[in-house]
Amino acid sequence: MSNVQVLIVDDEERFLQTTAKIMEKRGVAALRAPNGEGALKIIEETPVDVVILDVKMPGMDGVETLKRIKSSHPLIEVIMLTGHGSFDLAVSGMRLGAFDYLMKPCDISQLLEKVEDAYAKKQAMEERKRANGENGTDAPNPAVLRKSNASGNIE
Amino acid sequence: METTARQKDRPAKYSRIRRIILSRILVAPFVILLLVCATLVYYFASTLHARVTSEMIRIVDDHRNMIDQFLLERTEDLKFIANTNDYEFICREHRLAEVFEKLQKSSPAFLDLGIFDHSGNHIAYKGPYDLEGKNYQDAPWFQAVKEKSVYISDVFLGYRNTPHFVIAVKKEENGVYWYLRATIDTYYFNNLVENIRVGKTGEAYLINKDGLFQTKQRSGGKLMETDPNFSLSDLPNGRIVTYSAADDQGNKYRYAVGRLQQTDWQLVVRQDFMDAAAPLIQAVMAAVGLIFIGGAVVVVIAFFLASNVAYRLSVADAEKREMTNQLIMAGKLAEVGEMSSGIAHEINNPLQVMKAEVTMIGDLFQDVSPHSDADRENFDLIKDSVNQIGIQIDRCRKITQGLLKFARKSDPVIRKIMPGELISETVGMVAHQAMLDEVVIKTAIAPNLPEIESDPSQLQQVFLNLINNAVYAVKDVPKPEVRIEVDQHNDRLRIRLMDNGCGIAEDQLEKIFLPFFTTKPVGTGTGLGLSTCFGIIENLGGKIEVESQLGVGTTFTVLLPIA
Repeated sequence: MSNVQVLIVDDEERFLQTTAKIMEKRGVAALRAPNGEGALKIIEETPVDVVILDVKMPGMDGVETLKRIKSSHPLIEVIMLTGHGSFDLAVSGMRLGAFDYLMKPCDISQLLEKVEDAYAKKQAMEERKRANGENGTDAPNPAVLRKSNASGNIE
Repeated sequence: METTARQKDRPAKYSRIRRIILSRILVAPFVILLLVCATLVYYFASTLHARVTSEMIRIVDDHRNMIDQFLLERTEDLKFIANTNDYEFICREHRLAEVFEKLQKSSPAFLDLGIFDHSGNHIAYKGPYDLEGKNYQDAPWFQAVKEKSVYISDVFLGYRNTPHFVIAVKKEENGVYWYLRATIDTYYFNNLVENIRVGKTGEAYLINKDGLFQTKQRSGGKLMETDPNFSLSDLPNGRIVTYSAADDQGNKYRYAVGRLQQTDWQLVVRQDFMDAAAPLIQAVMAAVGLIFIGGAVVVVIAFFLASNVAYRLSVADAEKREMTNQLIMAGKLAEVGEMSSGIAHEINNPLQVMKAEVTMIGDLFQDVSPHSDADRENFDLIKDSVNQIGIQIDRCRKITQGLLKFARKSDPVIRKIMPGELISETVGMVAHQAMLDEVVIKTAIAPNLPEIESDPSQLQQVFLNLINNAVYAVKDVPKPEVRIEVDQHNDRLRIRLMDNGCGIAEDQLEKIFLPFFTTKPVGTGTGLGLSTCFGIIENLGGKIEVESQLGVGTTFTVLLPIA
């Protein structure tokens, strides 16, 4: 596994623990946050590559957290995770710049694959940014988003 | 949703409504029609009766006067002869012949003429019989004329032995009486009376005060016989009496009777009752015919009217019921959908935790290894157990995702679809499995079906589900067959899936679209298939219906909007 830094945000404590452990065992560095506020705080303190974000949480919900992350750290990729099958939520998440969207309960291996993909994309973006120098625009472009990939995961 | 039971009680209700409307439409006109006809017939009958009576009275009156006039004239003829001739003179043979010739000129009714002396000896005679020299001292007419001086006899036989009647007058000459007598031609007189005709069967005749025929009766009574129907012996003078009576054969007649003034005879006019009532009978027949024809027309019109109204009512009723059912069903489904999506969401979170734990255990297994053979066996058992947990978690996931799918009102992706192609394609997907189950799938797709605009993948999901259900239903029956018919029904596309399976009981039919309702064994079906189908079809603006009969089969009908 590459040296990707993952942040998992979920109000389910046991899920955080176990998933983080699995990831660490598989060589993926994983940080944990129990809610949106905690996640934003960690992002400010530590560099993070990919955020796994539960959509439905008490306090600040997933969509709001996604917005804040994308506005302060546009290069961080976010994978949405939800127990709800709402297509509309998925679409609004994708529109706000989420990398992909997974239905709970999802396979941890599948989740890790998505993390890999997201990290690869992030690296590609950083590469391009460096190549363009400091004057290039780095705002996320919704047209680049892989919508077909997203809808394919919603059964 | 229409079930077979509801369709069953529809014809019964329909015919009951029709019966009520029919009776209400028919009773009033028929009562009125009957009343009108009865009133008309009654008034017509009484008018007719009065008219027939007055007509008969008129005939009797007219003809009585005529006959009286005739008899009076003949009497006057004789009186004139008696007054203008003296006894000696008239007894001469050529003189009597002269007088008789004159008399016959005045009226051909005279048959002969005779002169009698005071003791009844026939002195002179002119006529076809040989009566001269006979004595009439004891003849009733001679007795009568001696007393009354003018006498018209009843019909009698006399010396000549043929029925005839005579008119006799008495003449006084120098204190001695002599008599003049003339016979009236029976045929001539008969014709006079007999020619009176009333209607078809009406007839007229004369009878004397004892009821003997004085003229022939056209219907059979002979001269001098007794009239079998004679009833009025003392008829008041001048008045005409009418009455109805039956003869000995039971035929009813209407009578009008009046007495002559010149003699004691009665003029009888009688008419067969049926003949007199013929116009009435015709009127009644016409009225009855009209009632029948009019009634038949009214009945036919009323029948169609009632059928039409009853049909519309029952259709409206069925539509209303169907709409109510669909509203109830939609409401139920919406409620259940909301609830189930909440449940699914709540269950998905713990499932996610469990999934992570299972993955964790799996990862941990790679790091540990058994120390002994006994350990290895347990090790494998634990691995298998964990594996099974993973499988069951996936099963739960399928259920919760099914629930979410059912509850989700996703925006359909609308495209133009050729219905025939869509169905053929879908059938193709299950054809292989059906063949393995030895189920025959027949498709009948009407030609020239219009394109529809809908979500092809959602529709495919629906039809796949319905076809799979049908195949499942016929698996265990002999000659399993699933028929799919696609055609246009009014302004909708109609897809019917018919199977010859075991059918669905009525109480189950009502719940069939509810989520989690399934007849499949536990673990085989989630009971979400049809509820999802229902949700999808409703969402696409269509309608899904089911009809079923136990032991015969089930038909699912999907109606989709065309434009």
